[in-house]
Amino acid sequence: MLWETVCSVVGLILVAVGAFCDIAAAIGINRFPNFFVRLHAATVGAIGGAVVPTFGAGLIALGSPELGNYRFFVAGVSFTTGLMIMILGQAGAHALARATLKAKAAPLEPCVHNALREREEVRGE
Amino acid sequence: MSLALSCLIPLYIVAIVLYAVRVLKGPTVSDRVLAVDALGFDLAAFLTILSVLFRAPIMVTTALVLALWIYALDIYVAKYLESKEMGD
Repeated sequence: MLWETVCSVVGLILVAVGAFCDIAAAIGINRFPNFFVRLHAATVGAIGGAVVPTFGAGLIALGSPELGNYRFFVAGVSFTTGLMIMILGQAGAHALARATLKAKAAPLEPCVHNALREREEVRGE
Repeated sequence: MSLALSCLIPLYIVAIVLYAVRVLKGPTVSDRVLAVDALGFDLAAFLTILSVLFRAPIMVTTALVLALWIYALDIYVAKYLESKEMGD
């Protein structure tokens, strides 16, 4: 039926977008200079590279009658997983960044702009 | 549909290998945890795609559990880095 074809095509596009974001994030996580810059690549990899293809796989599952009734099960778990990753990916990365900054566990340089240090200096005066 | 999906699978594998390179390179603990973080979420997405491709619905449940465990790893390491204890 038409809606199954639309679901499959849209899902495939999302999985392709996810593949591109994944490759970009993986290159970024290897090329960026320090931990705090790599955070950007990791969160691109978490959202664009994991949430988007998970939703895409859910849509493809909805649009494939070969799975039978299991397609609703696979689609449901896929959308739930995508939603979980969307929430937990950012929260976990933020917790890790905060702890790393406080514990000074990673070098800050090269650093273009450190708003936290400025705020502390203003507060210190 | 299966052919198109099969063409995308190698891209995810290349990304997984690149993340694994950063896990090995480090240099700090935070870098390694961040790379495992991205690798884990990437594997979760990969599992959902494979479960549709191989028509194996049971595989998709592991993706949800994997995503939750990756978050737990983040929080444990952050808690240890910040206050040198893991919470009993």
